[in-house]
Amino acid sequence: MTVEKKKRAISRLKSMYPLRALVDGMYKKAVEASKNGEPVAWCMVNWWAGDTVLQAMGVHTVHPEDYGAVCAAFGAAQPYLDRSDSEGFPSHMCGYARNCLGYAALMQDLGEIPPEAPMAGMPKPTLLLGSGYFCDTRYKWFQALGRYLDAPMWVLEMPHPGVPESRIEGNREHNIRFLVEELRELIGFLEKQLDRKMDYVRLGEIVDDTIEMNRVWHEVNELRKARPCPMHSRDFWSSMPASLYMASDPRVTAGLYRDMYDEVKSRVDNHTGAVPEEKYRVAFAELPPWHSLGFFNQLAERGWNFVIESWAYHPPKPVDLSGLSDPLERIAGLTYQYFSGYFEDAFQAGDGWGYFAHPYLEMVREYRCDGILLHPLLTCRTATNHLTVVQNQLMEQLKVPSLVVEGDIVDLNLFNPAEALRKAETFEETMQHYRAVRKEAGFDW
Amino acid sequence: MATGLNRVAEIYADRAARVTELKAGGKRIIGYLDIFPVVEMLTALDLVPYRLLGDLNEPITRADAYLPTVVCPFLRSVMDLGLKGKYDFLDGVVFAHGCEVSEKMAHIWRTYLHPPYAHFIDTPHTTHQAARKQHRELLKDFQKTLEEMTGQELTAEKLREAVNIHNRQRVLVRELYDLRKPDPPLISGAETVRVMVAVASLPVTEGNELLEQVIGEIKGRKDGPAPKPARLIVWGSIIDNTALVDLVESLGANVVMDDTTVGSRDYFPLVEITDDPRDGLADRYLVALRSPRTFRETVPDGNRRKDYMADLESRFGYLKDYAREWQVNGVILQVLRYCDIHGYEVPALKDYLESIGLPGIYLEHDYSKVALAQLRTRVQAFLEIIG
Ligand code: SF4
Ligand code: SF4
Repeated sequence: MTVEKKKRAISRLKSMYPLRALVDGMYKKAVEASKNGEPVAWCMVNWWAGDTVLQAMGVHTVHPEDYGAVCAAFGAAQPYLDRSDSEGFPSHMCGYARNCLGYAALMQDLGEIPPEAPMAGMPKPTLLLGSGYFCDTRYKWFQALGRYLDAPMWVLEMPHPGVPESRIEGNREHNIRFLVEELRELIGFLEKQLDRKMDYVRLGEIVDDTIEMNRVWHEVNELRKARPCPMHSRDFWSSMPASLYMASDPRVTAGLYRDMYDEVKSRVDNHTGAVPEEKYRVAFAELPPWHSLGFFNQLAERGWNFVIESWAYHPPKPVDLSGLSDPLERIAGLTYQYFSGYFEDAFQAGDGWGYFAHPYLEMVREYRCDGILLHPLLTCRTATNHLTVVQNQLMEQLKVPSLVVEGDIVDLNLFNPAEALRKAETFEETMQHYRAVRKEAGFDW
Repeated sequence: MATGLNRVAEIYADRAARVTELKAGGKRIIGYLDIFPVVEMLTALDLVPYRLLGDLNEPITRADAYLPTVVCPFLRSVMDLGLKGKYDFLDGVVFAHGCEVSEKMAHIWRTYLHPPYAHFIDTPHTTHQAARKQHRELLKDFQKTLEEMTGQELTAEKLREAVNIHNRQRVLVRELYDLRKPDPPLISGAETVRVMVAVASLPVTEGNELLEQVIGEIKGRKDGPAPKPARLIVWGSIIDNTALVDLVESLGANVVMDDTTVGSRDYFPLVEITDDPRDGLADRYLVALRSPRTFRETVPDGNRRKDYMADLESRFGYLKDYAREWQVNGVILQVLRYCDIHGYEVPALKDYLESIGLPGIYLEHDYSKVALAQLRTRVQAFLEIIG
């Protein structure tokens, strides 16, 4: 395939590989655990709430959302997608969900993990942990899995702060209380299902390590403001699941992010960029086409460096939670920070669209981007429905243009790399033009 | 002034006519989207709740720049109308977390349309104790912004009064729906849609008067629908116009029941009167409303395994009751393209219908007449099977 021709155009970080291996290992570990009769949960949540609790209860986790990306990257998704369609699920639904529903249907037929499943596959779960945050899919998909799996399901609730209502007196407090009480109800459910008690001391340690893991990961990404940018989005995407999905003991993960910090810092000190000649600094929103990542190599050859990407995959901005003795309150504090910390300046500006779209302004300004690549997905509303607003606002407020390339996270038929590349070539002129426009308007990049 | 079904026809043709009159007389009109905003709190403060709906006859031309084409076409239509100034008469808007896109649209709406008042209720997704408590807190937040906007106190007494008037409306809607039980039904499916749209466009007391007139008129009339071999329930995404029901009824069926949001799903559950009326309201909107957007755990305490059929019974059992009471022999599962809330339900609901021996047909459409017309042959074939 032509897109895979020159892989070296992006200089990948060595420290990325062990982080990626953690995620890859998660599946093997879960399969082993399941064979040994240990509980395994399919999860739709991550550190910002449920996974810390699951880890402390000795539950192994796998994330079907990540598994969708894995299947896409391995080119293994199509049979699962087809199966989901033939089961009667509408084909416009989330590609990850369709992948998983097809996988579960096949697993039910075979009575075991489908032999061709990448990365050892996902074992039959003991529990399903859905989420009320981000998208309807995160709980409707797991509910729909009831056709194929007899695992009980819990939906962990989370508020959606970062909107003007968050400023109503008392709103923050009751949202945090809600988060804490929800976690308590989840623990109650798990204790009954697993017939074991939560070890709150262990939970406290995991939470502290998680806070630290996220702090280091945040610092790594701060280094990417340097010019040339030392770390490309591809390394970000390879490294993010380790924290986003709590792929391992967070203390181990924090250590690996520290190694990454050192490597990125040394690149900054030596003025080494992730691409040979950084001509364009570009942001990316939202989820990439996992099946066609070679496309970014081609752009890298043309001097495109992807320097930052959607806030929702980034850790929360660091926050001091050391004053909270209850680990559930610390989880709630961290979670609330994640869901609101990126919108502070939207609040200051009294901006109603803060939640979800506003952080792109800060990102593009702070990372001094020449443009943004928006990737609307036919099958993911969450990653798509605010993109036109992002496009409008970036242009209106910062004179930064957007390149829109439609595609999908799993279904490779929906992404056309050749056409995307043609559009990108034309977009270079647009980026150059707006550099001049910004200069004239008094912007400093 | 026209009364009964004639009045319904007038309002259906020009939904905003009455509220703009009221506005000219000094009333404040507040738009709300979907069924989760707690409208009693508006009525209690003498604000007129006005349901935001789309317009199937108006091509979507302006919404593209704000909401992409891969989201719910109904919401895009509402947004489009807003952008074209068709909702400019509103004094404010209330949104809730009905579904993910409607939640995002709330923020996009207030960014671009600058309503004088806007409030978003982050309705939880489960009926957990914590979620129920949170919903009560959210209603207190809502009360704060309403009181600030109106400069009035929302007392328990005013709220109780509003609950009673809205409950009265719900009882009347049930009475109206009872008129669909005989064979042939006394009112057609399309007429019912028109009545429901009209009611959602009027202040609640006027809606109640209209419902009383319509019920009286229907009971006495001789020109109701003819008997037809198929008696159907329409389930699924919002229906705010007669296009789909007209199509189905023109092919030899009577639509005698619905499970949609400008219909029984919104109007059947009553609000329980509680000491603090906000408690009854919070639970009605979170627990009593049977929407697939609200998740309920169905594994009893101590059970380690989920029983799929028990889960289906808990999720869809009420449809079996509807089918029995309204003597239904087929179900139309209609889903707007990109509606995840309903899309994920389809195979499970089909399983359930099969288990109770009720045939169903799945129709996906995109809120356009052209798309509906293309479904004609499939509907025809379905009706032949069950007829
Ligand atoms: S956010 Fe998008 S990709 Fe992820 S589960 Fe939801 S719909 Fe699917
Ligand atoms: S039809 Fe579906 S997607 Fe559209 S507003 Fe209703 S629930 Fe949301």
